[in-house]
Amino acid sequence: MAQAQTTIPYREAGGPQGKAEPARMKFYVDVKRCIECGGCEVACKNENNVPPGIARIRVVTINEGEAGETNIAVPCMHCSKAPCVAVCPVDALYHRPDGIVALNKETCIGCGYCLYACPFGAPQFPKGSAFGARGVMDKCTYCAGGPEVAFSEREKRLYGSNRIAEGKLPMCASVCATKALIAGDAEEVANAVRQRMAARGAGGGAWGWDSAYGKGL
Amino acid sequence: MAGLANVFGYGAMTNHQNDIRNSRSIMIIGMNPAENHPISMQHILTAKEVNRALIISVDPRFTKTSAFANKYVRIRSGTDVAFVYGLINIILANGWEDKKFIAERTYDFETFRNEIAKYDPDTASDITGASKEDLLWVARTLAENRPGTVIWAMGGTQHNHGTGVVRTYCHLQMVLGNMGVPGGGTDVFRGHDGIQGVTDVGGGPETLPGYYGVGETAWKHWAKVWDVPYEWLLARFKSKAMMEKPGFTVARWYEGVLLDAKELGQEANLKAVFFMGHSTNSMQQMDRVKKALEKVELIVDIDPFVTNTAVLPDRKDGIYLLPAATNYEAAGSATNTNRDLQWRQKIVDPVYESRPDLTIMVDLAERLGFKKQFIHNMKGDWKGVPATPMSEKDKYVKALPEQTIEDVLREINMGCLSIGYVGQTPERLKRQQEWGHVFDIKTKKAVGGPVDGEQWGLPWPCWTDKHPGSAILYRTDIPVAQGGAGFRAVWGPTAPDGKTMLSADGSAPKDGPTKGYPAQKDYAVDLTGESIKLALAEGRNPYGNGRARFNSWNIAADPFPIHREPIHSPRPDLIVKWPTYDDVKEHYRVPQPYKSMQKPEWVKSFPLILTTGRVVEMEGGSAPQRTSSWLVELNPEMYIEMHPKVAADHNLRHGEMCWVETPEDMDAKPSRIKVKVKITKRVGPDTVFLPFHWGGVFEGNSLAHKFPEGTAPFSIGESANTVTTYGYDRVTQMQETKTSLCRVKKA
Repeated sequence: MAQAQTTIPYREAGGPQGKAEPARMKFYVDVKRCIECGGCEVACKNENNVPPGIARIRVVTINEGEAGETNIAVPCMHCSKAPCVAVCPVDALYHRPDGIVALNKETCIGCGYCLYACPFGAPQFPKGSAFGARGVMDKCTYCAGGPEVAFSEREKRLYGSNRIAEGKLPMCASVCATKALIAGDAEEVANAVRQRMAARGAGGGAWGWDSAYGKGL
Repeated sequence: MAGLANVFGYGAMTNHQNDIRNSRSIMIIGMNPAENHPISMQHILTAKEVNRALIISVDPRFTKTSAFANKYVRIRSGTDVAFVYGLINIILANGWEDKKFIAERTYDFETFRNEIAKYDPDTASDITGASKEDLLWVARTLAENRPGTVIWAMGGTQHNHGTGVVRTYCHLQMVLGNMGVPGGGTDVFRGHDGIQGVTDVGGGPETLPGYYGVGETAWKHWAKVWDVPYEWLLARFKSKAMMEKPGFTVARWYEGVLLDAKELGQEANLKAVFFMGHSTNSMQQMDRVKKALEKVELIVDIDPFVTNTAVLPDRKDGIYLLPAATNYEAAGSATNTNRDLQWRQKIVDPVYESRPDLTIMVDLAERLGFKKQFIHNMKGDWKGVPATPMSEKDKYVKALPEQTIEDVLREINMGCLSIGYVGQTPERLKRQQEWGHVFDIKTKKAVGGPVDGEQWGLPWPCWTDKHPGSAILYRTDIPVAQGGAGFRAVWGPTAPDGKTMLSADGSAPKDGPTKGYPAQKDYAVDLTGESIKLALAEGRNPYGNGRARFNSWNIAADPFPIHREPIHSPRPDLIVKWPTYDDVKEHYRVPQPYKSMQKPEWVKSFPLILTTGRVVEMEGGSAPQRTSSWLVELNPEMYIEMHPKVAADHNLRHGEMCWVETPEDMDAKPSRIKVKVKITKRVGPDTVFLPFHWGGVFEGNSLAHKFPEGTAPFSIGESANTVTTYGYDRVTQMQETKTSLCRVKKA
């Protein structure tokens, strides 16, 4: 295994925390904005050269064709307390200092525990191989490559592109037509979401609001 | 486009997509931007969130856009006139109209009011299927939330009275006074990024570039621009009459091959057909297109991909495929739905054997013997084109240099004075490209820098190379120098009934004459540009300041739009009361029957309404998209959307195959296609929906073996247009693909 030379995005010292520290990279999917155009799915595949059958991000639609039809793009949510990291028996999954849940494909034994642990369906396994052998897991890297020399051929082949090391955001969020999928440091993402919710008023369209506070609020 | 032009003067979207951020109500009718214009949803949803704009979606299908609407109203396909006039009926009954706007800026409201009386809520509800409560809710919402915009696309236009439908949308906005204001307007979204430009430079058969028509004045104007003798142009046609006669349209060219020459508006049948970036599976009655492609002597298909056209006909010879370059392989300008021009840069050199369209055209002109005239205009020859005749070395030139395409745009700038295509010079477009970051997202106006005050894309009319462009048409609260304008005074100073066509005192763009005035004499043909400058110097708009028309007295269809039942109507009772037009002997050189094709008995054997449309993963004929593995993975195969009740009644399950059959129309037997069933409540129990992007399968038989080796797309499927039926707009000959009748059978 090559030694990780990860480039970690940092918060500026002037932030609310008052000190320079690693950013906490997050996705947020605005269900009042996602129109299921599939731009994120195609951009991800093109950027990272993801093979057919593997979906590092996909858009799920519920109540299709009826009132309440809602779309949500589901990448790896890069959980702070990630169940996949907790269950991985070989520590192939781990948190980077910036909160991105990264994967070491050369450590992964393909046991599939993460597949069962993840509530979002993020871990992907090649389908259709003989005897149901799972092969090595693949997942959203937050476009941050993997534990290899950044921009190396090897990183590209195993994990795809490394836009984070280039100082860019993940491709899916960069192309989102309606800015439903937003990415970045948790503080900035939270600010963007807070502004949208304030503009929308009560309820704000936050996902789960109806079940938490009832309809009509 | 003809609908808009016949009401306001210009056939284009009046406001721009970013401007929707200013709207307080948004009625989306016959349109599904979430799938067809995903980026526009950013503006629509921002208006919803920030302005609390109310979104109303009116459509036979509960679309992905409807999911974001505050109100969804399902109407029967092809009943838009009755729906919109029903709304206006309610608005007038309650006195919600904008009386000042109507008095000052419109023509013949009095007669219009009488026409509207026919569409009382009961009638409108009966025709459309929308409830009276919904009609009232929509009318009240539009009246209480101004400014509002009306957005439509092919769902409005693809009907036998599509031009009428478009005019009703315009009339609604005139009654509400929503014209010429930010957040208002009639916002038709064009289907491709360059299609407004195609219309502007004379893509249609009825006009030369710049909407000059094909009459003698038009030819003489362009003869001057091209610096060729008018007589030379005339000599290239069989006669002056043929020179000034509109040609065939893309919708019905094949009848020029199939019908007896005696029935045509020209002496001989068509012998050759030349496709450039067009796919036959996006056009109606594809079974007849197939026959024509088998009969015609020569087919040339110029495209980056092997399209449906190449594999559809059963023929072995006389069909030539020329590889065209994509937009990434050549520089140039594109004009989008906002009337914005944008400069594109070349990203890579043309790959393999492909060549940009312009190179192909210049080469073709050379072989046909008029390259000298083709590359020439009143300012000289286009730069960068190899000498005539091409040397052996130049013969295979793959791409002409960027300066050639710049000169093409300069030629457009020279000639298209009528629509103010003057100020969009290559230099200004490239400067905007460099300074894109200083333009405001809501107003599209630049703040500071060398582009200060310019509108993004210099939307036409952009009268001079100093003019900022007109982002919002017909806006009187700003001076002409900043893009202000009244309606176009294109129908003369008085109407046939003697009433004035010039706007009333107090209604004019700022800093000029305060009332209506006719167009500046010769502004559209004065190639020195002095006439335009003269008008601008006095604060007048070169095209005048006129009135928008409720009564389009000189249109081929009804002066006031009338609801016309679709040719394939499911309501025999309404065919009696609201029939289609009388048969037309000749329209764009082919006979165009209406009433004789509208048969009330069809609904007995074909009980379901068939409508077609687009899906987000695909586009048009979709040869490129179906050749992309990522897109095919998301939407792998052709299908039919069917309500659960229809599926159950036909003993069909989700994922099973079924036959879809439509009436025989002009052929001996019904057309049919075999497609997969998708059960969904998007459509109601009276309607089924087909996406029209697929090709490569015909009536159940795969045509995959006919693609040249290695060129077959990842996904082939039945074309919806194999089963779409006869029916064409009375003015534009737009196809009636949005409403037909069909039956389904288990396969």
